[in-house]
Amino acid sequence: MVILPDNENRHLGDLAPRVFRWGVIVGLGAIGLSVLIGLSGEASLDRFFRSYLLGFIFVLSLCLGALFFVILQHLTKAGWSVVIRRIAEGLAGNLTWLWIGFIPVVVGLYMGDLYKWVDPPEGDELLKHKEAYLDTTFWLVRAVFYFAVWGLLARYFVRCSMDQDEHGDPKNTLRMQRVAAPGMVLYAFTQTFAIIDWVMTLEPYWYSTMFGVYFFSASACGFAAMLIILCALLQRTGRVTQSITTEHYHDLGKYLFAFGIFFWAYIAYCQYMLIWYANIPEETIWFVIRQLGGWKSMSILLLLGHFAGPFLLLLSRYPKRFKGVLTAACVWMLFIHFVDIYWLVMPRIPAELIDRVTSYPQLEQEFATGVIPGTALTYQEVYDLNWHLLDLTCVVGLLSLIGAMTARRLRDHCLIPEKDPRLGESLAFDNY
Amino acid sequence: MTTLALDNTFDDPTRRAPLVLGHDEFSTVTEKICGVNEARRAPRAWYIAFAISLFFTGILGVMILYLFATGVGVWGNQNPVMWGFPIINFVFWIGIGHAGTLISAILYLFRQKWRTAINRFAEAMTIFAVICALMFPSIHVGRVWVLYWTIPIPNQMELWPQFRSPLIWDFFAVGTYFTVSFLFWYVGMIPDLATLRDRATTRLRAIVYGIFALGWRGSIRHWHRYERAYLLLAALATPLVLSVHSVVSFDFAISQLPGWHTTIFPPYFVAGAIFSGFAMVMTLAIPARQLWGLKDFITLRHLENMNKIILVTGSMVGYAYIMEFFTSWYSGSLYEWFGFANRAFGPYAWAYWIMVSCNVLVPQIFWFKAARQSIWVMFIASLLVNLGMWFERFVIIVTSLAQDFLPSSWGYYVPTWVDLLMLAGSFGLFLTLFLLFCRYLPIIAIAEVKAVMPKAHAHESEASR
Repeated sequence: MVILPDNENRHLGDLAPRVFRWGVIVGLGAIGLSVLIGLSGEASLDRFFRSYLLGFIFVLSLCLGALFFVILQHLTKAGWSVVIRRIAEGLAGNLTWLWIGFIPVVVGLYMGDLYKWVDPPEGDELLKHKEAYLDTTFWLVRAVFYFAVWGLLARYFVRCSMDQDEHGDPKNTLRMQRVAAPGMVLYAFTQTFAIIDWVMTLEPYWYSTMFGVYFFSASACGFAAMLIILCALLQRTGRVTQSITTEHYHDLGKYLFAFGIFFWAYIAYCQYMLIWYANIPEETIWFVIRQLGGWKSMSILLLLGHFAGPFLLLLSRYPKRFKGVLTAACVWMLFIHFVDIYWLVMPRIPAELIDRVTSYPQLEQEFATGVIPGTALTYQEVYDLNWHLLDLTCVVGLLSLIGAMTARRLRDHCLIPEKDPRLGESLAFDNY
Repeated sequence: MTTLALDNTFDDPTRRAPLVLGHDEFSTVTEKICGVNEARRAPRAWYIAFAISLFFTGILGVMILYLFATGVGVWGNQNPVMWGFPIINFVFWIGIGHAGTLISAILYLFRQKWRTAINRFAEAMTIFAVICALMFPSIHVGRVWVLYWTIPIPNQMELWPQFRSPLIWDFFAVGTYFTVSFLFWYVGMIPDLATLRDRATTRLRAIVYGIFALGWRGSIRHWHRYERAYLLLAALATPLVLSVHSVVSFDFAISQLPGWHTTIFPPYFVAGAIFSGFAMVMTLAIPARQLWGLKDFITLRHLENMNKIILVTGSMVGYAYIMEFFTSWYSGSLYEWFGFANRAFGPYAWAYWIMVSCNVLVPQIFWFKAARQSIWVMFIASLLVNLGMWFERFVIIVTSLAQDFLPSSWGYYVPTWVDLLMLAGSFGLFLTLFLLFCRYLPIIAIAEVKAVMPKAHAHESEASR
């Protein structure tokens, strides 16, 4: 019989309704404000859709990272992670309703100019070739399929685990282990193709076989940072102060370090280096824009802030075991993960300019000062990094809704799976 | 405990399965494992296997002499397929050498204690596979007597290797990998070598094992330093698991050749390498545990776990195949699409389908528990996976080169008898080294296995279970 520490609060209690209320108010308010800004003409509607997609992909990456984590724990029959699994389940559970948040993206596809391939220019042979895949109906059917898979998987794992809280039947664990293996296969393919459909096809000419894996590593980063922050916040409010120990922070820190920092850098490096080295124009074009103007600074920021800095900071075991340092690092990692998603979603390629110039210095020159033919705007004004309030309001809105729904889901349940058969292992383990 | 000790393949989330079966005391564990090395005569099967392996090693030697005396024209390498068997074999053997470090380093960091039964000989296998791998590029240079030109040392000719070439990165990647794997293997073996030294009945054994045991006396201080060193080596070796095969994949992926240039190559090669490495561990572990009666240490549960890893990595390889195929169509590039369609339906379609069926379809059998626990099924599957992974390298290298952009330079690659004998000979060398290892070094990490026996945790608090 596992003896849980009796002097700690393991329920959200009256915190849940408060988080829910404020989350909904802020969330709907921020999204409403974003729509207003989009419609008001202060920013274009296209910009609204882009910014919304950015926010959506960001919260999606957190929830998918959580789903992956939960499936992985069952697949490997992990013992260490039991006490923190419920919080991950709370996050992953959002996948059951996140399809509602996807509706504006669909609207953007049909009404806006979000995806260029919807109305290909006349005589574009390349997009004609891709018509079979880049077809709005097929795209929509696929999206429904992805959300169905994620929703069902998330629902299954969350329910089965919460159900175990009632009766403590170890058979639930066995059942989840059995679903975990095919679940992982489904997860891998749906995540890959979803991100190809929603992000990679923003530039319909560009392609990279690594893209799905890149997003996977990014989502692991965002999720791990989020989970550590949530654990620290819960403990600050006096909850689960005994069950979640330094050992769990240490292990989560390792998870963040391994997948979110090291593996991310490995994938990012391989993708960049191989495209840079082969130097095929169709492929380099995607990186060329990310090496111009403000995007260039952002790329360098990612290199230093997503890899070099955190790598050096979290390499040693001590920062990972020091809650204050680890949590601060995670706040940074969550921010830099947002920058990473921004860097993936927001740039648009001035293809006409890149086709026209003959050298890199000329490209930089033209990008800075050249005027887009037929308009009064320079390339820099249109294509360079330009923050907008919308980028912030969309992501804040969606994050607040995620927070609200997570709190609601965990309202009536213990914050740790209190009758999991491997709970004892998780409470007692040590990093030697 | 006694009822548990017969079977550890149960699936009960309320308790962990024992990793060592039987009723062994710590002393009998030492007896059993050292007995493999201390028996006056090895089992007859060992002598037969050793004779055959040695014979093929001899063939390898003769073929290398013939190659040196005649030139690389004895191989089937021809325009346009300039990289034939030697590079295929190189990539194949490097891949085999991946399971060792994965088991020793990554599974160690993941606290997968079942690794203790198999890590020692998986590491040994790594070392020998890397030796086989290193041989091929070395003899591939043609003028082997000036091989030292590839080493970046200052010299009077002002001759430097091309640092922008991934071939030179390979040189460093594989060299580092070999060094660290060797250190890891050796450091891990020191306590066991001391055990063999202490038990030695002849002067010669005492001296030889004594030298390599580096004065190990098993004091607390020794153990403390040892554990520290081991953890650090594990952490250092982990990035190497990724880097070596990634750099090997760069040899192909930095080019512009359809079928070679694709960004998923590095992780795809790493997954494939671990996949083939585990298959080779299975191929060797199954006869070894049978031959020397080690079934209580390398239990059915160990084999089942390895089968699961084969299923996972095989599916990752399948994922990469699908991504490549999808993207070659999606890219809209005629050459890309031709490259892949040609693999599946062109003149080398036979090789492609061997690859797909062995690497992707065969491991799917491990979805079934009965297959994961059947010795014959897993043995045959492991052989097929080895075959499939060799063919993967064949498909990648040969099909992309044989039919490139210019139809007038297309050709069909056929290996010569020298190629085939060299491949067979490399297996001979690998198995010879491996059999010698089994005979003279502790094939299971004795000290580590004792630490995971149920007896080592007799006083573990019941409250934590």
